[in-house]
Amino acid sequence: MKSRAQVESRSTSQNVLEVKDLKIHFHTTGGPWERKRRIVRAVDGVSFHLQSGETLGIVGESGCGKSTTARAILNLVKVTDGQVILNGVRLDNLSARTMHPHRKQIQMIFQDPYASLNPRMPVGRLISEPMKIFKLYDRRTRMLEVIRLMELVGLDPGFMNRYPHEFSGGQRQRIGIARALAVKPQVIICDEPVSALDVSIQAQVINLLMDLQQQLGLAYVFISHDLSVVRHIAHRVAVMYLGNIIEIAPSELLYQHPKHPYTQALLSAVPLPDPQAESKRDPIVLVGEVPSPDQIYQGCPFANRCPIAEKECTDLKPALEGALHSVACIKA
Amino acid sequence: MKPRPVLEVNDLAVQYDTDEGLVEAVRGVSFQVAPGQTLGIVGESGSGKSVTNLAVLGLIPQPPGKIVSGSIRFRGQELLHMSQRDLSTIRGRKIAMIFQDPMTALNPLLTIEDQLTEVTRIHLGHDRQSARNHAISMLEKVGIPSPERRLGDYPHQFSGGMRQRVMIAMALSCKPDVLIADEPTTALDVTIQAQILRLMKELQNSAQTAIVLITHDMGVIASACDTVVVMYAGKIVEQADTATLFRNPRHPYTLGLLKSMTRLDAPLGTKLTPIEGQPPDLTQLGKGCSFCARCRYAVQHCREETPELTKVSSEGLAACFVDWTADSAGGEGP
Repeated sequence: MKSRAQVESRSTSQNVLEVKDLKIHFHTTGGPWERKRRIVRAVDGVSFHLQSGETLGIVGESGCGKSTTARAILNLVKVTDGQVILNGVRLDNLSARTMHPHRKQIQMIFQDPYASLNPRMPVGRLISEPMKIFKLYDRRTRMLEVIRLMELVGLDPGFMNRYPHEFSGGQRQRIGIARALAVKPQVIICDEPVSALDVSIQAQVINLLMDLQQQLGLAYVFISHDLSVVRHIAHRVAVMYLGNIIEIAPSELLYQHPKHPYTQALLSAVPLPDPQAESKRDPIVLVGEVPSPDQIYQGCPFANRCPIAEKECTDLKPALEGALHSVACIKA
Repeated sequence: MKPRPVLEVNDLAVQYDTDEGLVEAVRGVSFQVAPGQTLGIVGESGSGKSVTNLAVLGLIPQPPGKIVSGSIRFRGQELLHMSQRDLSTIRGRKIAMIFQDPMTALNPLLTIEDQLTEVTRIHLGHDRQSARNHAISMLEKVGIPSPERRLGDYPHQFSGGMRQRVMIAMALSCKPDVLIADEPTTALDVTIQAQILRLMKELQNSAQTAIVLITHDMGVIASACDTVVVMYAGKIVEQADTATLFRNPRHPYTLGLLKSMTRLDAPLGTKLTPIEGQPPDLTQLGKGCSFCARCRYAVQHCREETPELTKVSSEGLAACFVDWTADSAGGEGP
């Protein structure tokens, strides 16, 4: 319980967002013909905090619970247990109506810029819509805001009356960013914001997000499966596996001295764009795949794939330990 | 002595007739690949890398597609203009393909056994039992545990990585001479990607398969390919062996790609240098180099004439008029 007390003591005004022991369990059946009910532990006890102006990266493979965590922060899925605290206010137990005013503080950028914009709305209306919903400004000021926002994200305001299909993927992602910024939030949850973009366009959007953070003092939760993108943009990084954070540390520590065997394997599996270095490297190839989250594990969730696991690893689930560089492994 | 190429593509051009106009998807592409070699084709969406390889397999729907010119030879035999019937004795048997998305490439209504045995029963004339035994040994090779039990399963009962293994097992069932892999690991997690790339390498080493690996990931190119072709707007802009391409890129677009990617081995705090602007509209290609609008080295000549692929080193080719490499020696990007 020591780590919990530490988190508590740090929860002063500087933390804009805090997530405490978040659990999200889904109840499912195996299909209409299967009676047995199963519990999928998508997120199983996740805690972190975020300061203003900071980027926290969350990395992990598909199914590790990173997107579910994001949706829970925004109160888009029902939280089974734990707390989400934004500026000292608990969000997880709010209803849709009481949550509404808080959404001004916390916005989201989605992965797919093709699916997340209404194809029947011109760009100007898409960007002014959030301001209208929160009854900000009069009509004329909203118009001026749209122009300001389009310039801010690098779009020509002259294209205000065009429709999303007239824009490329990178430009659409800029529209999504302008929409998120329209209500002047403090925190933006970015769920794989550059994964659908080509490399050269990816760099444009990453640079834009970093510039905006500097100008506006935004805090980001940046979710991605791409370890090199997260390394580039995040100040601190959390690695998730099977619904748990197994390591969390400042970027330079995590990437240079990964402590958890899973983090080590993950980093060694990313191919380097350098043929010479690549030929010398001997990646740790993990055997098997991520197990299903509908089973109950006693010990470490990674134990069955871990190259250094011992008997005791399967007995008790290790807690996240260490103040600056926290890791959940009894052998680290 | 260089080994004889097993697949040769020469001056291939493919167009699509669409509502927006004529799309010049592939504009004069040539490459070859030898047994046991891996050729990487890298490029962004719309660069023509997938269309090129669909053409090799005779899978371009015509219309709206049209192969305007060029030749595709497999062991000296021309594949274009070959009848579908003759082509089907080569496709799947001698030249096999792995697609990006194993969920849509597998039939959800058929068991893995049905899908795996179909190939060998058609091409190798296996009877039911020997096809089944063959399928089991293939699944074993690609590392699927207890294959006898899994044969009766349907695709949805497999994870993404497992489905991709099934696709590879299917593609390699007839020991093809050429394997075309179109973004085989893009939909997969990095740890599974490492497993699949290693598996492809092992199978290549044992059967001397020639592999054409299409990807947008420079890291995958660096770890898996012997030679690389860089495509932009339907054309090859640079071609070289992998080490040379990464050490000494000779086309501004290749340099731009390398400079715009986030990489694990860069010093922290390195600023990315994106390639500004967008790729050109393939229906509106005018004269001149198609990259010149985004190129910082472009001169007037680049806008007026289209550069051809020319020799720039012992093995390397690039399509650029400007000798910009001296200028960028300081390490600045485009």
